[in-house]
Amino acid sequence: MQDFFFSITWLVPVFPFLAFLIIILFTQNNNKLSHSLSIGSMVLSWLVGWGVVFSAIATPHLGEHPIHFSVPWFPTGTTNFEIGFSIDPLMAVTLFMVPFVCLMIFIYSVGYMGYGTDEVDPRYARFFAYIALFATGMLGLVISENLLTLFMSWEIMGLCSYLLIGFWFEKNYEDPNKITPRQAGLKAFLVTKVGDLFLMLGLIYLFVESGSLSYADTLFNHEFLAELAHTPALPIFGGWSAASAIAALIFGGTVGKSAQFPLHVWLPDAMEGPTPVSALIHAATMVSAGVFLVARIFPLLSVVVELEHHNPTMGLIAFIGAFTAIFSSLIAITQNDIKGVLAFSTISQLGYMIAALGIGAYVAATFHLITHAFFKALLFMGSGSVIVGCHHEQNMMEMGGLKEKMPRTFWTFVAGGFALSGFPIITAGFWSKDEILAHAWHEFMNEGVMSWPFFVWLLLTIAAFLTAFYTARQISLTFLGKPRGHHAEHAHESPNTMTIPLIILAFFAVTLGFVGIPEEIIGYGNNWFHNFIGHEYPATPLSLPVMLLSSGLAVGGLGIGWLVYGRNPLLQGEMDPLESGMKKIRLGWLYEAMRNKFYFDELYQATFIKGSVKLADIFYNFDYHWVIDPFINLVARISRGISDLMNQFDEKIVDRLVNLTGLSGIRLSDLGGITDNKVVDGLVNGIADVTGWVGENVLRPIQTGKVQNYLLILLISMLAIIGIYLVY
Amino acid sequence: MTIPINWYLLVAAALFCIGLYGVLSRRNAIGILMGIELMLNAVNINLIAFWRYMDQVRLTGQIFAIFVFTVAAAEVAVGLALVIAIYRNRATIIVEEIDLLKE
Amino acid sequence: MNFPILSAITFTPLLIAVIVLIIPKSKENLIRWVTTILSFIPLVLAIFVFAVVRTDPSKMHFMEEYSWIPSIDVFYRMGADGLSSIMLVLTALLSTLCHYYSIYTIKKRVKEYYFLFLLLQVGMSGVFVSLDFIFFYVFWEIGLVPMYLLIGVWGGERRIYASIKFFLYTLAGSMAMLLAIIGVYLATGTFDILEAAAAQPFAGNFALSAAAFWAFFIAFAIKVPIFPFHTWLPDAHTEAPTTGSVILAGVLLKLGAYGLIRIVLPLFPDTFAYYSYNVPIIPILAVISIVYGALVCMAQWDLKRLIAYSSVSHMGYVTLGISAAAASLAIPGGGAEATTSAIIGLNGAALQLFTHGIITGGLFFLVGMLYDRAHTRQIKDFGGLGAKLPYYYGIMMVTGFASLGLPGLAGFWSEFFVFRGAFAILPVFAAIGVLGIVFTAAYILWKIVQYVFLGEFDQEKWDQATHNAPLFDMMTFEKVTMWPLVILMVLIGLYPSLVVSLLNGVSTAMFSNF
Repeated sequence: MQDFFFSITWLVPVFPFLAFLIIILFTQNNNKLSHSLSIGSMVLSWLVGWGVVFSAIATPHLGEHPIHFSVPWFPTGTTNFEIGFSIDPLMAVTLFMVPFVCLMIFIYSVGYMGYGTDEVDPRYARFFAYIALFATGMLGLVISENLLTLFMSWEIMGLCSYLLIGFWFEKNYEDPNKITPRQAGLKAFLVTKVGDLFLMLGLIYLFVESGSLSYADTLFNHEFLAELAHTPALPIFGGWSAASAIAALIFGGTVGKSAQFPLHVWLPDAMEGPTPVSALIHAATMVSAGVFLVARIFPLLSVVVELEHHNPTMGLIAFIGAFTAIFSSLIAITQNDIKGVLAFSTISQLGYMIAALGIGAYVAATFHLITHAFFKALLFMGSGSVIVGCHHEQNMMEMGGLKEKMPRTFWTFVAGGFALSGFPIITAGFWSKDEILAHAWHEFMNEGVMSWPFFVWLLLTIAAFLTAFYTARQISLTFLGKPRGHHAEHAHESPNTMTIPLIILAFFAVTLGFVGIPEEIIGYGNNWFHNFIGHEYPATPLSLPVMLLSSGLAVGGLGIGWLVYGRNPLLQGEMDPLESGMKKIRLGWLYEAMRNKFYFDELYQATFIKGSVKLADIFYNFDYHWVIDPFINLVARISRGISDLMNQFDEKIVDRLVNLTGLSGIRLSDLGGITDNKVVDGLVNGIADVTGWVGENVLRPIQTGKVQNYLLILLISMLAIIGIYLVY
Repeated sequence: MTIPINWYLLVAAALFCIGLYGVLSRRNAIGILMGIELMLNAVNINLIAFWRYMDQVRLTGQIFAIFVFTVAAAEVAVGLALVIAIYRNRATIIVEEIDLLKE
Repeated sequence: MNFPILSAITFTPLLIAVIVLIIPKSKENLIRWVTTILSFIPLVLAIFVFAVVRTDPSKMHFMEEYSWIPSIDVFYRMGADGLSSIMLVLTALLSTLCHYYSIYTIKKRVKEYYFLFLLLQVGMSGVFVSLDFIFFYVFWEIGLVPMYLLIGVWGGERRIYASIKFFLYTLAGSMAMLLAIIGVYLATGTFDILEAAAAQPFAGNFALSAAAFWAFFIAFAIKVPIFPFHTWLPDAHTEAPTTGSVILAGVLLKLGAYGLIRIVLPLFPDTFAYYSYNVPIIPILAVISIVYGALVCMAQWDLKRLIAYSSVSHMGYVTLGISAAAASLAIPGGGAEATTSAIIGLNGAALQLFTHGIITGGLFFLVGMLYDRAHTRQIKDFGGLGAKLPYYYGIMMVTGFASLGLPGLAGFWSEFFVFRGAFAILPVFAAIGVLGIVFTAAYILWKIVQYVFLGEFDQEKWDQATHNAPLFDMMTFEKVTMWPLVILMVLIGLYPSLVVSLLNGVSTAMFSNF
């Protein structure tokens, strides 16, 4: 049974791909058939996927002996590049999450895109095709056996995110400064593409060093990794080892895809896409792919630590992750768009995972990756339900009082929100986040205050508080109090296709954490998740102070948030209490900066975008107006000039020589006397005159232009010649 | 009884003169072409006659005649094509009206 | 089997051209259909050659050799290895598609058009199979005149300027090449390309070798085109008729790169390596072509000119791949790893010839279709066509994404292989060249997709820009033209081996000789 599932693993991404092809080629006009195909393919993927997952779980020592299948794909010199799939613990846990969450989101999309109502989207079928292709990319990424197919799937997801963010590409806003979906899609694609360049270079670098990109030859090959850690990198990396350099380049891809600082700017704008897309791409799967990638290359990172006790790349990763986590949660507490808050929250949570990987907390990061996918998808879909209920109103300041009107959405949203804040014991987020903090604490206890773990721990702990605070703010503003806008007043609960997936996800958001409870709490050494995925890494010891602190921060953050926003709900037109509070203590500028996302969009606009457009113009002028074409024209002009010169030479020199000869002749005749002159001239003129006369009066009339006349002349002349011949 | 060569030469000369007359007098371009053909055939008769009566070993005369046939055929093809082209352009094949060379 | 199949592929178009001449001018439809249907003969034969060569791509197949001008040792020599055979397929395929597409789009001087186009096809196929310098040169020149006339007669408003610019540029290149050919002949005593390569002309004399190298290189660089010899291309493309642009981008540009791979690299490996590694002029030009070309695209407002510049950028990848392969020979102690990288880089460059041919050919077809509707190519005249022309939009998206190198479509592989090869040998240039990918994505998605297709359709603006032209989605003949290209893009994207295995054989064999 296990072998059966393992051997058909490759089918997992094939189902949705077939669905995509069929929909895009044949069934675009049939909404029902299209969404059935899409969802049906996902059900198949899910069944096969979970078959593989549970077979993997049932396989002992999978971590030490991952399973690989591969076949030749294309030749590279004398060797072949192989394509295949691999089954190992990281892949198994991710495969647990991806098809299931995708399936929930697909079902939810039926309701969200308005199936069966008057507001059904005009490109409904195409939407399902795109999300099926997206699922193909994500599933392909998870099962792939080499970094190249991983990269391909990665890019296919990039394509889908471009298409899906810009799905409503005709939309225009009255405010010209508000970003439209099509611009957001473009921005997402280009910004992530910048990261992808680094990723591609990293892959190529690894490929150059190893001659292969398969996991078996590179990431799971400890000897090779050790050798790589001793190879010096290209000079541009200073004194780093090749392993660190490659990992840093690959991490560049993660910075783009997981929206880490400084390439985070695309994700908030990506919220212009339909909400299921936000849930699918920007919470559960695609952005997690970046974390997945770093987890994938974790052996490459840890081998350096193992050999050198220090890895500059991990410092970089820890710094970027932790900084992003705090930076974006600061922005999140000031956003008014219901999805905007979640977008920044996503960036911040991804920062948690990245920072965790940066300090070596591989298991904790993976754990958080899985739990986060569930509760963030839940939150996004909840917000989508609110948006549909409020007739596409997204501003939380216009909401309020939805608790009674949308009870199912409210309760599931609360479950998700509490999980996000890390509410103690009963939510999944608590266990995973706590493990990250505990790991950071543990490392920092070992390494002292002047170390990355301390930095990470400090920032993440503050971020944990902020997370709880903005979650409470969001729940209070959206659901509590009285409606502040007419859309909210006429809100209604969403259809079952939307709420049932919410309920299912809410279940997981609460319970999923129990697979990774620290062994000390259970009491008999059975942190199942850790044993399955990270047997080779030591378990993070339980740390009571950290747990108490993070529980306290979560509860405290939620509590303060509730005190500020929930106890005395905002009235219509009232200023955000945070804003007024900060203005009171003269921090209004900071609030503005946070609200405007610290002006990164404007900065990039002014530098990179304007810069490249300007450079493009300069180069174009270089071609056409300044250098190349003028040069070509110059060459042309010079050759013209030379030919003119030649002409002049002919006219001025050669002709003059001829004239001179003539003149000297004349002079000579002058010398010879006037008579001579007259004779010569008369002769010359006479010849000219005679020629002219003959031409005018004799030859011209003969030239009639009629063939027969010519022939006649020919005949007469012939006869005359023959006559003369005969006579003489 | 053998026919003396003169007879052939006379026939050929007559044919040539008829052809020449045609070329010079016809107004229709096709007529002119036909005249040219007659002249060429007169030449052929001469060639064959001389071959038959003078040197039968070498095939010079016959070969020349064949050459002339071929050239004549090609010439007719080209000539007719030209005539058609002129007709398309000027809607006439009367040679007196085709005096483009004068210009 | 002694059937001269390569001669048949090369000269069947000539035969068709004669048939076209015989058919009266007024029977335009007959001319169109006869050409299109008969042009399947070279296509089928080329695919057959492809299939046969695939079994052993490293050596020459279907060799033909007859003495042609004995007094100077010029032979009629033909042969096809992996590289030649894929280029033959590309030529025959694009030509057939162009013939078919022209049935519906060429209304002026049909007979002359088809005659010239077929002559052009003879020249292009001939270059890819000839193994004799003079023979090569003759075919090279045969292609020049019809293209000149195609631009000059069937082109746009500034066609005279563009055609003369095209002619002079390429003629200048040809002169240099002829001189170099004679030089090689004097040094080796043969016009046989393979023999000359084996003889390694001027191997001991760097100055002469460099002179001959640059003469060849400039001739081919103009055709590729490599910066700074590229400014004829945008003009020629902009003014050429749609099919002319397709052939120009799809095949004619490839002649230059083909020459670099077939002639310059085997004949002057050490000189090439010297100028790629020790004095890296060629990789610098390649990287400039890539980045510069892509940036200039962003400044264009004419769709055809934009795609023309994108060719400059994409052909830069080819040059980079070839020069990386050459540079590997100069690396001290490079060994097997450098050779492997060189082979991969050369595979990428050669693959780019094929993929760029189908992708950019497709893009020019698409722009031509839009132009036929709107009679304008100004990007700013369009907007919101995505919702109006969903089919066209879909095909354009596939082609555009293939062009920007999306994995899973054909363009990705050539870029990946080129950078894989170049990074191992010329890491700095590869790292700079990669920037081209972002700019490519930017101009395709921003300039083409966003301006033309996205946003709201404005009927008034359209009417004003196009003088009330009717707007309709792709017609059947347009779909038929595009589908083979789209299918190939996807097929090669998923299974690059289809083409790469042939190229790999050629490059492996080439490097085993060095």
